[in-house]
Amino acid sequence: MTETMKNLTNETADGAGEGVAHVATNGQAADDGKPIIRICDLHKSYDDLVVLRGVDLEVKRGEVVVILGPSGSGKSTLLRCVNLLEQPTGGQVFFEDTEITAKGTDINAVRAKVGMVFQSFNLFPHLTAKGNVMLAQQKVLKRSKEEAAKVAVEQLTKVGLAERVDYKPSQLSGGQQQRVAIARALAMDPHVMLFDEATSALDPELVRDVLGVMKELARGGMTMIVVTHEMGFARDVADRVIFMDGGVIVEEGTPDEVFDHPKSDRTKDFLGHIR
Amino acid sequence: MHMQNLKANTVRTAFCALLVSFALVFAGAAQVAVAPTNAYALDTAKCTAKPNVSGSSDVLGGVETRITWEGQADPDEQIAGVTFTLPEGTTCEPGDTRATMLTGDDLMTRTNLDVSVDYKDGKLTVNFSEPAQAGGYFRVEIYKVKFSEMGGDMQLTGAYTLADGTEVAMDTLPAITVKSHSFFESLSDSLAQQDWVKSWNSVLFLKLFLNPSVFVSSLPVVFWGFLMAIGIVACAFPLAIPFGLLLSLMRMSKLRVLRGIATAYVNVVRGTPLFLQIYIAFFGLPLAGIQIPTFPLGVIVLAMNSSAYLCEIFRAGIQSISKGQFEAARSLGMNGAQTMLFVIIPQTVRRVIPTMTSEFILLYKDTSMLAAVGTMEIVMNAKTIVASTGSITPYVVAACFYLIITLPLAKVVGNLESRLASNDTGKGGKKKRKSKKHAIGTGDAAGALGSGAGTAAAEARATGDAVAAKRPDAVEGTGITPEQMSSL
Repeated sequence: MTETMKNLTNETADGAGEGVAHVATNGQAADDGKPIIRICDLHKSYDDLVVLRGVDLEVKRGEVVVILGPSGSGKSTLLRCVNLLEQPTGGQVFFEDTEITAKGTDINAVRAKVGMVFQSFNLFPHLTAKGNVMLAQQKVLKRSKEEAAKVAVEQLTKVGLAERVDYKPSQLSGGQQQRVAIARALAMDPHVMLFDEATSALDPELVRDVLGVMKELARGGMTMIVVTHEMGFARDVADRVIFMDGGVIVEEGTPDEVFDHPKSDRTKDFLGHIR
Repeated sequence: MHMQNLKANTVRTAFCALLVSFALVFAGAAQVAVAPTNAYALDTAKCTAKPNVSGSSDVLGGVETRITWEGQADPDEQIAGVTFTLPEGTTCEPGDTRATMLTGDDLMTRTNLDVSVDYKDGKLTVNFSEPAQAGGYFRVEIYKVKFSEMGGDMQLTGAYTLADGTEVAMDTLPAITVKSHSFFESLSDSLAQQDWVKSWNSVLFLKLFLNPSVFVSSLPVVFWGFLMAIGIVACAFPLAIPFGLLLSLMRMSKLRVLRGIATAYVNVVRGTPLFLQIYIAFFGLPLAGIQIPTFPLGVIVLAMNSSAYLCEIFRAGIQSISKGQFEAARSLGMNGAQTMLFVIIPQTVRRVIPTMTSEFILLYKDTSMLAAVGTMEIVMNAKTIVASTGSITPYVVAACFYLIITLPLAKVVGNLESRLASNDTGKGGKKKRKSKKHAIGTGDAAGALGSGAGTAAAEARATGDAVAAKRPDAVEGTGITPEQMSSL
C-alpha cells in the first residue's frame, strides 16, 4: 500500500510517463468544449425488460462523470452501450466524430480507444500480469513484443505492481488484479476510460488502492465515466454526478448540487439510504 | 548265397545310382516311379512327424514331436538296424524309440523288435538285437523329438545296416515341414504340461476364461491387434481434434447456414450408432465405386464420429469460459477471431483436456467395432484364437490389452479433474474471497464469474464415463450463448 502510494506520488512529482502525458493533452483539449462522447435518446431493452428509456448525455474531454443509482437503474447498461458491449435498441452514441451506433462503424477501432474496467476484473487467467497488459497492444495496436513489454512494465509500475509483473492473476489479490486490469486498459492509450463498479468486488481495504489509482488518473486529466457506489470518491473526484433510476437520468449536477442539495425525492431517498 | 547277394547288391546299387543321376537330370518324379520296381534298397514308404500334443496337426518347432518312418525291405534283404541323422538344432530323447516289423501276406503279422538305441551328435542309431526277417516292412517311431523353434523344412537323412554289417544310405527322405514356434508358444506348451495348470484347468470356469496356456499363446497374436488399434486411434484422434474444433466454432457461428450444417452433422453422428456408420461406410462406399483400403477408411470413420463428440466437448468448454473474458478482450479492441485464438481457446484447452482424454478412451474402445468389418484389431485377433481353441481366454487377453491403456488414462483424467476442481475452488469466487480478510484472492475474473459453470461442467465430466462425456448437453456451461457472442 505504502509502496503504491509512493509510486503514485513519484509519478505525480515527475509528471513523467507517456500515459499521463498523453492524458494531459486530452485534458488541455477539453477547452475546445467539444464533447468526446455524446449519447442521444438512448434506449435499451431485453425482450420485455426495458432498461434504458431515453438517456441523453454528453461528456467533455478531461471530464470525470460519476454515475450513481440503485441496482437495476440502467447505469451499467448505459456504460456498456458506450463501447457497444451492449447493442442499444434505439438512439445514437457518438465517440469523438464517429457515430458508433451507425452501421459499418469499425467498432474494434473505437473500442481500442475506449478503456474499460470491469467489476469482476476479467483478467486473462492464462497470462501473467505483463502478458495481460501486452496482449491487446500486440494484436490490436500491432506494437512489437519489446515495445508492448516496455509499455506493460511502465503501466504496471504506475499502478504499483512493478514487482508483480510476472505473476499470474490467480497469484494476485483482488485489488492487485483490478490494478492490472486498469494498466491493461491504459496501455492502449485510451481517450476515455469507463469504470463499471470497479471496486464493488473488493474487500474494503483493497478498495483504497484501486481508488487511489483512479484518483491519480483523474488528476492527470483522463476523461472518465465511473459507475460506482463509492460516494467519497464521487465527491472528491467527480466533475459531474449523475443520478439514474428506472432507465433515465433523474438528476445531474456537480457533487455539491447532487449530494448536498438534491432536487428530486428519488435522489434524496437513495442518498439517505446510503448514509 | 551271401556273396551272390552282395554281388547282386553292388550291381543293383550301380544301376540305381545311374538311375538316380538320370532322375536328377530329368525329374524327381522319374525316380519315384522307377525306384519301387527296382526295389533293391530299403524303400522308404513314409517319413512323417506328428506333434505329441493333440489338437493341431501342424508340426511346431520346439514342441515334442513323434517322427514315424516306414520302409519296405527287399525280399532278400535282412536289416540289422537303421540310422537317422536329425537336422541341426533338433533334439530327441531316444529312450522311447520303438521299431515294429510287419511281415506275411498283407503285412498282417506284427513283430515288436527288440532294439538298442544309440543317440550321439544328432545321429540316432537303432540296432536290432538280431537281423530282422528279410523282406519285412519296418516302422520306426522316434518320440520326444524337438525340432528347432525356427521352423522350416526339416530334412532327415537315413541309412540302414544289413545283416552282414554293410551300411547303405537310404534314398532321400521326404522333408518334414515344421512351423516356427515362438517363445510364447513354447511357454504355453510347457505351461500346459505343468501340474498346477492341469488342476487349474480342471475347473471348467477357469479353463474357459483363464486357461494359462491359452492366455500365454494368445498374447503375441492379440498384441498385433493391439498395435493395430493403437495405430487407428493414433491417426483418428489427431484428425478428429481440428475437425471437432471447427464444428464447434461453426455451431456457435453467427451464420445460420454454418450453424445448421454443424448442428445437423453433430446430431446425425451422435444420434446413430457407430456400428451402423461403419457398416454404411464399409459396405456402401465400395458399392458406390469408391475403394478405400480398410485402415484409412476405419480411421476416417472413427475420426468423423469422434469429431462430433469433440465438437460438443469444445462447445461446452468454450461456453464455460465466462462472458467477462469475451467482453474484456472485445473491450480492448480485439476482434472475434483474436479473442477466440488468444483468449478463449487457450483457456478452453486447459478445461477440456480431461474430457478429451475420456473421449480418447472411448475412441480407443470403439476401434473394436471395426472387427465387424474384418479389421484385424484386438477383438478380431482374439476371435480367431477363440475359434481355433474354443476357449474364451483370448477375449480376456483382449480385455487386458484395452485395460493397459484405459486404466492409466482414467487415472490421468481423475488427477486432471481433481486439479481443475481444486483450482476452481481455490479461485472460489466472491463468497470465499469476502469471507477471508486479506485473502490472496486467488480468484481471477473467470473464476469469479465462471466458477459456477466451470464447476458444474467439471462435476458432470468427473464421472468420466461414456454417459457423461457423450452427453455434453448435460455439461454445458452457463457462460455465453451464441446470441450473446454474436452481439459482441
